[in-house]
Amino acid sequence: MQVIDKNKIVPLLDRLSKQSEVFVPTVKGSESGFYSWNSLNGAKEIALEALNVYHSPKNVLFPQTERMYSIEQGKQVFSIPDTFQDEKSRIIFGIRACDAKAITCFDDVFLTHGYEDSFYATRRKNTIIIGNACYQPGANCFCSSMGINPVQPDADVVIHDAGTVYAWEAITVTGQQFTEQVQDLLEEKDLGLPQLKPFSTEFDYDGVVEKLQGMFDHEIWHELAEPCMNCGTCTYMCPSCHCFDIQVKIWGDKGYRFRCWDSCMYTEYTAEAGGGNPRPDSQDRFRNRFLHKLEFFTERYDYPLCTGCGRCISVCPNGINIIDIIKRIKEVDKIV
Amino acid sequence: MTDITLKIREIATRLLQSDQVDVFVGWEKGPQEYQTRPFFVRRVEDVEKLVFNEYSIHNLTNYLLKYRDSTDRVGLVVKGCDSRGIVRLLQDNQFKRNRLYIVGVCCPGIKDPLKIAKNQSGLACPPNNEEIADKCTRCLVPNPIIYDELLGESQEPHNSGERFSEIKTIENMDPNQRYQFFEDTLTQCIRCYACRQVCVACNCRTCIFDEMKPQWVGRENSTTDNMMYHLVKAMHMAGRCIECGECERVCPVNIPLMLINSKLVKDMDHFFGSYEAGMEYVEGQKPPLSVYNPDDPDDFI
Repeated sequence: MQVIDKNKIVPLLDRLSKQSEVFVPTVKGSESGFYSWNSLNGAKEIALEALNVYHSPKNVLFPQTERMYSIEQGKQVFSIPDTFQDEKSRIIFGIRACDAKAITCFDDVFLTHGYEDSFYATRRKNTIIIGNACYQPGANCFCSSMGINPVQPDADVVIHDAGTVYAWEAITVTGQQFTEQVQDLLEEKDLGLPQLKPFSTEFDYDGVVEKLQGMFDHEIWHELAEPCMNCGTCTYMCPSCHCFDIQVKIWGDKGYRFRCWDSCMYTEYTAEAGGGNPRPDSQDRFRNRFLHKLEFFTERYDYPLCTGCGRCISVCPNGINIIDIIKRIKEVDKIV
Repeated sequence: MTDITLKIREIATRLLQSDQVDVFVGWEKGPQEYQTRPFFVRRVEDVEKLVFNEYSIHNLTNYLLKYRDSTDRVGLVVKGCDSRGIVRLLQDNQFKRNRLYIVGVCCPGIKDPLKIAKNQSGLACPPNNEEIADKCTRCLVPNPIIYDELLGESQEPHNSGERFSEIKTIENMDPNQRYQFFEDTLTQCIRCYACRQVCVACNCRTCIFDEMKPQWVGRENSTTDNMMYHLVKAMHMAGRCIECGECERVCPVNIPLMLINSKLVKDMDHFFGSYEAGMEYVEGQKPPLSVYNPDDPDDFI
């Protein structure tokens, strides 16, 4: 088995960051996230051994704000001088299975079913993903219940923490080519991989979609939604939430169009030009979020949009817990 | 606190049975030990789930906005800081006093379930203090200001040290240093609007940040738009912030929002005072920025 000594991780990242922008799970002040290796000054506090980081790496492939094209108003003509395609090569190093699955969700949303999002596609094509197998699920983790194998992230290469070394496993062709480039830092060693520790929460997700299909008008939504204040914290911290808005900034006759994350929790999200709003109440917006995660996405792509990372459980100011909600949905007997 | 829980259940049962309220807002225990969360009781059978414990931190007065347009009569539990929110809502004519039954609790200081949730999540971050919540260490009003029934023994304020000392430190920075401080702080903002949503002073029907025609504040996550968001929000807080500290508590990226709000509290008192928002309820009385007075100071404009 190929392995990399833990002492060689920093030299590896230093080397990789000469050619690519490398995003590594690190602690920065009171935050943690996938920060660009070169942007980190001073001591770099790598968090590869932590369960995960606070901010998922969704920003790497799907930036919170992204310029699409510039616009210019001439006397007679209206022109688009530039379209912005981000072709920089990127590496996401040490992503956990839940966050990697969220990228698989993005791939399906932005690249399949008849429409390819060129901005995402360009960025994705130039990104290599190195997964970090997860053997010790945390207090709010439930990825296994959402059909994810925590030790086998969707990635080009997967590293497995085995004490003083990481076992190195190339998964895809891209992963094999990448491995060849760093071959000199790897060595052969016989070792056993750790055992996956049990999850504190496990449930059977089967049947939830079918159940939800008959629950749109169920009274349970009122009770579940009541504590929700419709802030967008859960949606912005979620690795797989991917709604965006397209807006414009103009000064005089020049400007640009950009897209930015949006949240189904906001009233403005569904505001229509004519003044109507199909989801006027807090409860309507709350229900939509859970139906999208647990029902609509599965109907379209065959797997749920929730990857069981548990971040929303840790950050919800009012203690709304998606595991609790799934369990409550399962307990609903009568279909209205 | 068990006593208080029992009394709250007793009151809620009485109010629901005698049809004095349609809904009673308190707290219930969540799946985890620390996860006390807002709870809404409409049936006497559910009263048993109500609790008041060391994690009952949420300012429930914000939920009154959910009932603003209904005819529901609401019973709710407030701590000292929260009760100032009710005064503000009444002053802003957002709610009628006769639709409310207020159960005041003299607050012994509360722990923040969010901090414990983050500590236990396993996500890489420096450990949070699990003792009394940050907002409680600045508490001036542990005992409710407005109530129909008061529970618990009167408490002393939990604040320590000089009030506004952090504000003075920032006031004493040179302008460049101060700009840098706010730039560094506010670029972290992810614009999730949790600070707005949790705020009882934010009771506009259509928020300026949701206005599209014209769009007053851009939606880019950039230093400019983030600063604009926070500046505009701060200005709207002047004379309205009741210092419940919920905005700062719920911020997922730890922006010290109360620094900004406290500066406004201090300035309001200095320019238009003596005044502290929501400290007393006198029917018909308006806060200083809700009325025009020819003698209003304008040297700072």
